[in-house]
This record gives sequence, C-alpha cells and structure tokens, in this order.
Amino acid sequence: MPDIAIQTQQLTRRFGNLIAVDGIDLQVAAGQFFGFLGPNGAGKSTTIKILTGLLAPTSGSMQLLGVDFAANPVEVKRQIGVVPEGMGLFERLTGAEYLKFVGRMYGLDRATTQRRSEELLEFMQLADRPKTMIADYSHGMQKKLALAAAVIHGPRILFLDEPFEGVDALAAGALKALLARMTERGTTIFLTSHVLEIVERLCSHVAIIHKGRLVAQGSLEELRAGIAGEAGSKTTLEQIFLSIVGQSGTERPQLEELSWLM
Amino acid sequence: MADVTQSVSVFEQIRLVAGLRWLILRNSLRKKNNRLDLIGLIFAGVLGGILVIGLSFAFYAGAYTFVSHGRPGWIASLFWGIFLFWQIFPVFVAGFGANFEFRTLLRFPLSLRAFYIISLAYGLADFSALASVCWLLSMTAGATVAKPGVLPAMLLIVAAFVLLNVTIERLIGSWLERLLARRRTREIFFGLFVLSMISLNFLTPLMQRYGASARPVFLRLLPYFAWLPPSLAGRAVAAVIRLQPAGFLVSSAVLVLYLVLFSALLWQRFAAQYRGEELSETAAPARAAIRTIQVKDDGPDRLSLLSPQVAEIVRKEFRYLTRNGFAYLSLLMPPLLILIFSMNSTGWHLTRNGRGVSAEIFFPGMMAYLILILMAPAYNSFAYEGRGIQTYFTAPLRFRDVLLGKNLMLLFVLSLEIVLSMVMLLWRVGLPSAHMLVATCAAIIFTIVGQLTIANWSSITFPRKMEFGRMQGQRQSGMAVLVAFGAQILMGSISAAILFTGKWTGNLWLPAQAFIFLAAAAVAGYFASLDALTKLAEKKKEVLIEALCR
Repeated sequence: MPDIAIQTQQLTRRFGNLIAVDGIDLQVAAGQFFGFLGPNGAGKSTTIKILTGLLAPTSGSMQLLGVDFAANPVEVKRQIGVVPEGMGLFERLTGAEYLKFVGRMYGLDRATTQRRSEELLEFMQLADRPKTMIADYSHGMQKKLALAAAVIHGPRILFLDEPFEGVDALAAGALKALLARMTERGTTIFLTSHVLEIVERLCSHVAIIHKGRLVAQGSLEELRAGIAGEAGSKTTLEQIFLSIVGQSGTERPQLEELSWLM
Repeated sequence: MADVTQSVSVFEQIRLVAGLRWLILRNSLRKKNNRLDLIGLIFAGVLGGILVIGLSFAFYAGAYTFVSHGRPGWIASLFWGIFLFWQIFPVFVAGFGANFEFRTLLRFPLSLRAFYIISLAYGLADFSALASVCWLLSMTAGATVAKPGVLPAMLLIVAAFVLLNVTIERLIGSWLERLLARRRTREIFFGLFVLSMISLNFLTPLMQRYGASARPVFLRLLPYFAWLPPSLAGRAVAAVIRLQPAGFLVSSAVLVLYLVLFSALLWQRFAAQYRGEELSETAAPARAAIRTIQVKDDGPDRLSLLSPQVAEIVRKEFRYLTRNGFAYLSLLMPPLLILIFSMNSTGWHLTRNGRGVSAEIFFPGMMAYLILILMAPAYNSFAYEGRGIQTYFTAPLRFRDVLLGKNLMLLFVLSLEIVLSMVMLLWRVGLPSAHMLVATCAAIIFTIVGQLTIANWSSITFPRKMEFGRMQGQRQSGMAVLVAFGAQILMGSISAAILFTGKWTGNLWLPAQAFIFLAAAAVAGYFASLDALTKLAEKKKEVLIEALCR
C-alpha cells in the first residue's frame, strides 16, 4: 500500500480569466483524516471536483494511491468514494435501489451489494422508508444516503464535500464515529467543511486554500507552531484559519459601519 | 430594536410587488437564453393582442345585435364564453408553474387584508383577466350603443362579474398551488393534461357518432345552468332591457351572493396560507423502526448477458420510466395515434382492409411518424438525470456503458411500441405486402440505430435539464431540436429516395435489400461511435454536469 494517498503537482484550473485553483501541490498520507479548508470561493469544491474526476484540471497532474489519474481514471475511481457538492443522487430511485445501483457500478456482486445496502440503510436510519423515493427525502436524509453510497464499496480514499451539512446531531455523531473507524483501518478521508470545530475534532492534518492558492498544509500541531505570537497549543483552528487567510485584521468588515443595528 | 416608524399602505405594497416583478424580469434578461425567450414572449404578446382585439369586436357586435334585435337573453352566452375562458385558461397555464409565488410575500409584515387585496389586484393583471375585462367592456359598449339606458346597470353587473371571476380564479389558483406543490399530484395533473390534449383528437369522430343523440340530453340540462353566475349576469342585463326590475334585483342579488360565498372561501384559503400552511413534500421525521436485517434473494439476474454496469443502467432507466407518469402516457400514444389517424381518415367503423386506406402507404407512413415522435427524447437523453449525472463520472465505468444501457432501454421501449402499433395497424388497416413489410422493418432498424448515434452525440453536446411533472421551462435545447430535425429529415429523405427508386425501377425487393444493407451499416457505425462518444463525454463532462445539476 503506498504511503501517499493523494499527491498533486502544480494543479491548476482556470475558468476564463479566473484562476480557481492556482498551482496546488498537495500531499496527503494514507490513512490521514485530512481537512481541506478555505473561505467561500477559495477553490475548495473545485479542487475536490478535480481530485474526483468531475472536473478536468487546466494543467498539473495528480496521483491517487500512486496511480496517475489522467492515465488510469477507471482504476483510480474504483478505489475512491465521493460525496460531491450536489450529492449526485438519482432522485427517482428509492434509497435501497440507489445503493444497489452504486454497488453494482463499483463491481460488487449482487449478494454483497444487497447485504451492504441493507446494513448501510439500517446504520443511516433510512431503512424504515423502503418505498420512499429520494426526491421525497429531506436534505439530511439525502446527505446520509450519499454518504452510504460513497462507502458501499469500501473505498481507500473518501472525498467528502460538506458531509455534515443538514445532518442531525444524532446521525452526525454516528457518522463521525464511522469515519474515525475507517481512518483507523487505513482509509484516507479528505473532507471540506465550513464548521471548523468539526474539522478540528476529526482531522489530524489540514490544508488551507485561499484565492486558489494553498497557503498552509500540515498537522494541526505544525500549523499551531507556525503562528508566531499565539498561545501555542491553545490556539484553536479558527484562530489559525483567521490568522492565515488574513481576516483577523484590516480585511474584516468593520462593525462600526452598522452602528444603526446596535 | 427595529426602527420602523410607519406601516406601509396597501397601495404602496402593490407598487413594491410590481417593482419586484419588474426587477425579476429585467435581471432574467441578462442571460442570453432569456433574451431569446423575451422575443418569443413579445411575439406571443402581439398574437395575443390581435386575438383579444379581434374578439373584442366580436363581443361588441354580439352584444349590440342581441340587444338591438330584441334577444337580450342571449347575452348570457357571451358571459359564459368569458367565464369559461377566464377560469379554464389559467388552469392550463398553472400546470406550467408559477413565475412568482405570492406566498413568498408572507415573510413581510403584510396584514391578511393586504395579502388578499394584493392577490386580487394581481389576479386582474393576468392575461386571461385583462382579455376578459376588454371583452366585457366591449360588450358594455355594444349594449350601450344599442340601448343607452342600459349603461349604469351593465356597468354594475360587469363590475360584480369581474370581481366574482377574479375571486373564483384566485380560489382555483390557490387550490391548484396547494395540489401542485406535491410531486405526485403535479405528475398526475401533467398526465391528465397530456391525456386531455390527446383526447381532443377524438372529438371529431365522437361528434360524428354521438352528436345527434347528445343534443337532447344537453338541452334537458340547460335550465340547470340558469342559476350559475354567467347566466345570472345575462339574465340581469336582459331584465333591465325588458324593464323588469324584480328580475334584475333577483339575478343581481344571487350574483352578489355567489361573490360573497366565493370571497369567504378565498378568505379562508388565504387565511390558511397566512397562518403558514405547509406545502412541503419532504418526508416528515419518523421514528426509525427496529428491524432485523434480512438478506433477500432477488432471484436470477435476468440481465446477466450484459455487464453489471450496463445491466444496472438498464434497470435504473426502467425504474425511471415506471415512475414517470408522462413517459407512461407517451407509451400509450403510438397505438392511440394509429387509432386516431385511421378513424379521422376513414371514420369510426373500419373493416380489416381499411376502406380507402392503402396499407402499402399507411403502414410505412405511420411507422415513420411514430419513430419521429418516439426518438425525439433520445436527443436529450440525460434530461432527467439531474445531479445523478455526477455518479456516472465518479463511478469506475466507461461512458460507453452508460450510453449502451440507455440505448438498450430505449430500444426495448421502441420495440414494444412498434409491435403494439403493428398489432393496431393489423386490426385497423391490415399489413402491407411482404416486400413492403420487410423493407419497413429494415428501415425501422436503420433509422432508429442511425439516429441513436447522432442522438447520443446531441445528448452529450447539448444537454438540458428537465424535471418530472413540470412543464414550465421544460424545453429541449434549441440546438438539440435542430439536430433532431436535421437527422430525421436526412433519414426520411434517404428512406423516401430508396422507396421511390424501388417503385421507379419496378424492383419490389430493392428497397428491402437497400434498407437491410443500411441497417447493418448503421449498427456497425453505432458500435464504432461508442468509444469516440466516450472521449467526447469526458471532454464535455463539465458542460453536462453544469447543465444537469442546476
């Protein structure tokens, strides 16, 4: 098993004149719970789309589990699971039908697909609505189903774009436990989230992207140590984040301008 | 603390809502496609204007004639025409979805009274209301010119009639909004709409057969219509002209009673909306049932000849088909169309060999027509995938499997439809000669498979998202329509040329041979195209995802 799960070299994506991802060199070790952070519009979702094959890079290269994505996309996709930004669900199927569809797409045999589908539906508390179409699921239920579909084939890398958004606290707790267990067994998890507390609690390593450029990468301890003048180990991820993306000082909107609200 | 110091008047709120609707329209024009839509809207507006003005003259002339020729009672028929248009036209338009939902205004500090008045005011700004008011004013003018003394009463009755109509229209609209908020009812409505459109084709043969016997039944029912609003409005006007004040008072009073009753019902509906009526269709939270996991055996895989990926896509397509009311109904259409065409051209009764209809022409002609209809969706085959399209790009499969799966399902449906249609043709018209039958069957394979290659290319290159059970904004991409049109003209021209050559040379089996050769070439071309289309899909995946994940 390769030591490096995800590696990119000068990964770049342009949309016309806009450079959404600007020469990113990312390195994620196998088995890491990796948080990918950035302010709105920084390039997080674009990066995750490139890494999962939903978007082609303008330039640069990437290897997942040591395999070049451009050369062997099918081989790479077999090893990864994805919860994309829009969840990617076929809304006219029921939850069970969708999981069976995905399982077979990833090459699982029918019996295994069937068994895993039922187990995942139970775990995600979706089994009590066997005939409900995904279109009629709530947002949180859809999110849980997308997560179930992403893990049904036992991926070695799991890409999660805002996985806990809309998921209730009870289910979120169970999911976090599941994800932690997966990393213990060697699965690499690449996660984006705006909720920094979740990232801080779950992730061992973090990268921060700002205006398309990777501005920080490393373990939480390394990032804490890199901030001069702060309180060392007591520094929260939020403080690190604000410090790095430059929102702590002059760029932050001045509340005094809204004096009529106070 | 909020520093709002004064409440906003109803008039100001109406003005603000008008401004909001204008901004929505103006901002939507920033997109090129919407600007093109505006041209269509202006064109439709001009046509609508011509229709309204033309009919205004007709209503003027009608009212003038009825009053001046001593038949004021007939004015009720004009009120009926306007009433039916005002109430039915918006129902059809409602199926296409609302551009602006008044419910969204409820987040603002509006009183129920203001909400009610704003809704009525905008009810009067709809096309059907504007047109109806124009026609009513034309009627008033016509009646006044014929008998000037009728003007005050006519104005009163028209005012009450307008208020009543706008109230009923809003009431129906608010109930429709409630019903159409749910996916299932929206789909049923859509299905019924399509079915009613198809059913209109049966009117001519049904009238031919039952017209005479239905007339007495209709005449017996007529008196019951006398107590409905349009008849009452007509009777009130007639009573004024005949100088019967009691008749005028009774008819007007009942008309006002209707107004009060429907206003109360509408108030009740709006009050429910105002209180925060739930129209959401998402599943309510439910306690998770305690279940034991049972691994069920699905039985033998009926699609084991296909690769697991292709088989799953075929299954998924089948499930989508069975859950799409419109698609279901469209499956009924081909045999129905054959029935309609054969009835329209030969009447209700038709013997096996179809009086006056040659199977040699009718059979290939109908098959060509059916393929024309049935192949159209293939040119935008990813329309209903929605966000699911991402799965095709994140899953470890080649896009050729996706195309194959989708095409196989389409071929299955087409085969079923063609067999059903052939059975219907056999019953209605009879089968053509053997050489024509073979030529037609080979031509079917050629045109379907030949079009599939082009349709796959079009689906990847010009995708357009569509949603089940919705009609608003459910248009194919203009380019996809052009491609489909071009491909079908090409296939049709080739087929016609071959059939003509067969006729011209006197070689009856020549078309069959030519079509068999072309069918084989089309099948080979189809399989050869799959890899190229897979590369194209990879290249165009951003376009596909962007278009379908909106």
